Amino acid sequence: MSILEYNGGAIVAMVGKNCVAIGSDKRFGVQLMTVSTEFPKIFPATDKTFIGLPGLATDIRTLSERFRFKINMYKLSEEREIEPRTLAHLVSSTLYERRFGPYFVEPIIAGLDKDNQPFICGMDLIGCINFAKDFVVAGTTTDSLFGVCESLWEPDLEPEDLFETVSQSLLNAVDRDSLAGWGAVIHVVTPERVITRTLKTRMD
Amino acid sequence: MNPVILYNNDTSANVPVEAPVERQFYPYADNGGTSLGIAGADFCLLASDTRKSSGYSIHSRYSPKAFKLTEKAVLATNGFAADGLALTKSLCQKLEWYKHAHDKEMSTPALAQMLSNTLYYKRFFPYYTFNLLGGIDDQGRGIVYSFDPVGSMGTELCRAGGSSAALIQPFLDNQVGLKNQQGAQQTPLSLESAIRITKDAFTSATERDIYTGDYLEIFIIRQEGVTVERFDLKKD
Amino acid sequence: MECLIGMVGKDFVLTAADTSAARSITVMKSTEDKSRDLNKHVIMLYSGEPGDTVHFAEYIQRNVRFYEIKNGIELTPKAAATFTRKELATSLRSRHPYAVNLLIAGYDVTALSSQLYWIDYLGSSVNVPFAAHGYGAYYTLSLLDRYHRPDISLDEAKVLVKKCIDELKSRFIINLADFKIKVTDKDGIREIEI
Repeated sequence: MSILEYNGGAIVAMVGKNCVAIGSDKRFGVQLMTVSTEFPKIFPATDKTFIGLPGLATDIRTLSERFRFKINMYKLSEEREIEPRTLAHLVSSTLYERRFGPYFVEPIIAGLDKDNQPFICGMDLIGCINFAKDFVVAGTTTDSLFGVCESLWEPDLEPEDLFETVSQSLLNAVDRDSLAGWGAVIHVVTPERVITRTLKTRMD
Repeated sequence: MNPVILYNNDTSANVPVEAPVERQFYPYADNGGTSLGIAGADFCLLASDTRKSSGYSIHSRYSPKAFKLTEKAVLATNGFAADGLALTKSLCQKLEWYKHAHDKEMSTPALAQMLSNTLYYKRFFPYYTFNLLGGIDDQGRGIVYSFDPVGSMGTELCRAGGSSAALIQPFLDNQVGLKNQQGAQQTPLSLESAIRITKDAFTSATERDIYTGDYLEIFIIRQEGVTVERFDLKKD
Repeated sequence: MECLIGMVGKDFVLTAADTSAARSITVMKSTEDKSRDLNKHVIMLYSGEPGDTVHFAEYIQRNVRFYEIKNGIELTPKAAATFTRKELATSLRSRHPYAVNLLIAGYDVTALSSQLYWIDYLGSSVNVPFAAHGYGAYYTLSLLDRYHRPDISLDEAKVLVKKCIDELKSRFIINLADFKIKVTDKDGIREIEI
């Protein structure tokens, strides 16, 4: 079994009209044994940007702390918040530093830039960026997420509709994956505020 | 140049090779493709794309893998196309014999059981096919059976099979099974809705799966008989 | 073959570790205490590669103590778990990684709450209401799922851990003869009998 699938987990991010949404499941397991159902994989980077880190749990923790450090250092030296696009390149180069002994995570970044334009991107474990205009998925549920997102997503969704689309995509996809699920968290970022909701799911 | 002169320093070149040469033959291939079945109250819908590929090559843009077996049942075969064809041929023959022996067409549940037996008969050299059997039963209700290559059988409300199964199945769970929709009423699915969902599912799968595309064949099985509709999918 | 169990109660954490030290198919000792006290309110249970376990546990124990002497602050369970996790995560990508699985349990005297951390040799760390390590997890987690409550009392927790141990005795092929059971609460760490 792949190291990326050892702990399980799924993340999806979508673009809406002047908003973005990112969601993850909450499972932490060791192969097929579920150890915890309170392990979200999305971390706030700035007030309007989130990083999702699906993959090996130890690297999720290590990297979330490293990124927190780097983002704070950026803020101190630049005296401004980091832009999501800049953050994507920061994450990418952090991963590529370990080109031949990688961190086993496939990050997803979602946020609004300084002009409140939506930005999302995905990445592989060595930092190859995928700038998407519609949605990005990562984790153990990628196939199911691709299928269901491709069917449910449409352009220019308002925040509440985007929330529903992300939620339905994530929930129905993880219900077909034994390594992901057990609760979910969705963040919708709008220019005014961040809406965070915890979803109940099937617990099997 | 004289080869004898060229190689006469090399002792091994003068000795005939006697070691057995190992060759390997793999009897299976994956020809991709996707199928989908939805069971309605008084109809059954079975859809398949018509692309046949191997690796990065498309062998055929129109090579159907769903076949009408009786007036009340259609079989879709995914996986290894040659086995799918051989299996269909064998089933058709068995159905013919059944008709001659009993002077009637085989019912859909009986056909499903026969398919399961046929697959299990080759348990140790299986037909490498993931089958969906759609039809209507003796009461006129729509029914979808799904099979693994060795004959495990299940009946379902909706099922996707083949290369895009993982992409389509959660979408069907949501739109046909109404999963994760709080307070949604499970009303009988109309044929129009089923066709709409099927087209949506296949256009989406075609976007992300290189093994799915070209044309979509939708078989609709009703008490009156079987009809086929064809639609275009993307050819890239 | 080793088994560690832990559960958080109302204002305590109950932990249990089997006491057998085995080499191959032989039990070398049946009274081994597979835990180290990190401070008055934090206990660490360990299992894994013999040699690595005690060495790593004592390394953590001494560094936690050193930090406390240097700064005059007692580490909370969370702080101890975070430190330990980082040591394991660093070790994972070294030439010879530690193969040690841990449960860190303790009572947070500042937040007045009890906590339990499940940590594996990779450095994955999670805060959990109950946890188990080793093959024992496959037998005991279902019981803990069924009977554990966040407000479970000490008496109920004792009954529950007894259920878990009995299950191992009846279903697990390896004979885990005895368990050392400890309670950590505001008064510190103490061993109990069930």
